[in-house]
Amino acid sequence: MATSHARRTVGRILAMAGKEVLHIRRDIRTLYLALAMPVLLLVLFGFGISFDVDHLGLAVVDQDRTAQSRELVRNVTASEEFILQWEGTSPEEGLRELRRGNAIAVLVVPRGFAEDVAGGGAQVQLLVDGADGNTATQAMAKAQALVDAASRKFAAAAPRAPPLEVRVRTLFNPNSRSALFLVPGLASYLLAIVAVLITALTVAREWERGSMEQLFATPVGRMEIIVGKLLPYLGIGLLQVLLVLTAGAWIFDVPVRGSVVALGLGALLFLIGMLGQGLLISVVTRNQVVATQVATMTSVLPSMLLSGFIFPIANLPPPLKVVSMLIPARYFVSTLRGVLLRGNGVDVLWPQLLAMAIFAAVMLTLATRRFQRRLD
Amino acid sequence: MSDAPDVALEDVRKGFGATQALRGVSLAVGHGEVYGLVGPDGAGKTTAIRLMAGLLRADGGRVRMLGEDPANPRSQVREGLGLVPQRNTLYGDLSVDENLHFFARLFGLSKEDFASRRERLLDITRLGRFTERRADALSGGMYKKLALACALLHRPRVLLLDEPTNGVDPVSRRELWELLYTLVHDGMTLIVSTPYMDEAARCHRVGLLYAGELIAEGGPRELARQHGVAASNFEAVFLALVERRNGTGGRAA
Repeated sequence: MATSHARRTVGRILAMAGKEVLHIRRDIRTLYLALAMPVLLLVLFGFGISFDVDHLGLAVVDQDRTAQSRELVRNVTASEEFILQWEGTSPEEGLRELRRGNAIAVLVVPRGFAEDVAGGGAQVQLLVDGADGNTATQAMAKAQALVDAASRKFAAAAPRAPPLEVRVRTLFNPNSRSALFLVPGLASYLLAIVAVLITALTVAREWERGSMEQLFATPVGRMEIIVGKLLPYLGIGLLQVLLVLTAGAWIFDVPVRGSVVALGLGALLFLIGMLGQGLLISVVTRNQVVATQVATMTSVLPSMLLSGFIFPIANLPPPLKVVSMLIPARYFVSTLRGVLLRGNGVDVLWPQLLAMAIFAAVMLTLATRRFQRRLD
Repeated sequence: MSDAPDVALEDVRKGFGATQALRGVSLAVGHGEVYGLVGPDGAGKTTAIRLMAGLLRADGGRVRMLGEDPANPRSQVREGLGLVPQRNTLYGDLSVDENLHFFARLFGLSKEDFASRRERLLDITRLGRFTERRADALSGGMYKKLALACALLHRPRVLLLDEPTNGVDPVSRRELWELLYTLVHDGMTLIVSTPYMDEAARCHRVGLLYAGELIAEGGPRELARQHGVAASNFEAVFLALVERRNGTGGRAA
């Protein structure tokens, strides 16, 4: 009796899932949204968005005009992170280049620089255009590093070495490549779009065209409808993870250094949570246009802005930091970076996995409760 | 065998916000009957059908379908119930065959059972030549026949049809009614809602719904006789009853 009941339940779930697959196959837009768009966006974002700043215009005000001052300028411009745009002796003219936007920074080498180097206490001034905060910060860091390198050279030539030297080594992303930082965040963002948006649309569509009325007149239960409708999208979501990570590895050399189990588990929990959220939206709104707007506001935007994908969570204002704790993409971004870049496994990432599991359970419970098998 | 009606509404009330769709409607439909819920648009026909199918919960009164409360999610009533909704609610992007197969799976039909039911239903609905056609590419009449076939796959005891002939050409309307009579011969109970007064004569009994109230009930000939008109002029019966209910008097012409 129980076996027969279970068999019929599985049969109805598979019927719902099979029907959904037919819809997906017939509607090329859904397939595009599900599979082609993520890879396209990955390529666009991967190449288009880069936090790597180089070829920065530099104006040099060399008031010393000595071999040492020229050596310093050569050192700063040798790596092509800074390109010498203008050179002169007048600080005012140097600033004019900054105002005109021809240079992002002005390096001022004061008169007496060579003598000061010999004496062990030389100073140079760097004026940076702060209108673009991100570029200014990177320009300062890069200039500091280049001047430090030059300083070490001068010190090696001098009779005594500097008393303290910090040797910085960046782990996990030694060349600070934006792609390595972006791809995990991008994968979460794209999955959030597909999972929430498509689920919200597909269930809302059933309400709009009235087919929910026909379904409710059959023995299919609400859990069977929910699971049957979500299964194909779960499959698509997992396929998407594979596609995005493969494209990330192939195009941007993003490695997979950690546990594949943690990666799979994280993707599964994240997807279930996102699908549950999409379902909840569609059950509440019962309308595709409203569902799209609500999905965008509650998942797509937070997954981009509050997940650490682009903006570090540590830099968020305290209230937004609290809100970000409710965004599952935050935990998935962290899981992906942990697995892909830091080589982590479940032993390290279990808090993130647990958070995503809780979110998924809450979303599915709320959606199932709200999803009444009635039209009123 | 039980004498209990297949479908019963007892003083049922249902409202949507400020609108009262049904105001204390009572009716009972016995096994094998063709019962017509006849009334103009907005009379409460669809609400009554949806209450019988368990798609809505009544605000007051009692709804029984095959002895159970159809709005109870645990009720097994859907195994014995077929519904043809008023709107086109099948999957338009699925073919005739795909729609039939999907609903057969929801009703738990075995492959063998589905094969024989499919053959029989395609035969009686004359949809056999259109099995590969998408549902949204069917004509209005063919679409209704497909909806009927989907609702009949599991051999329901009670079939609810909400305005099945709405938007259907006269030839298809007649075919559809002939089809319904075939089903009654098989022992099925039919409840059909319709705004077309001439279709009342095709029913064993009719309930006349107006503004959420059942203003009369009985056999179409009996009601016509009471009002001194021919059964074919059922519209006159209905208008007379509405005038009496509204207190505007007058006798049917």
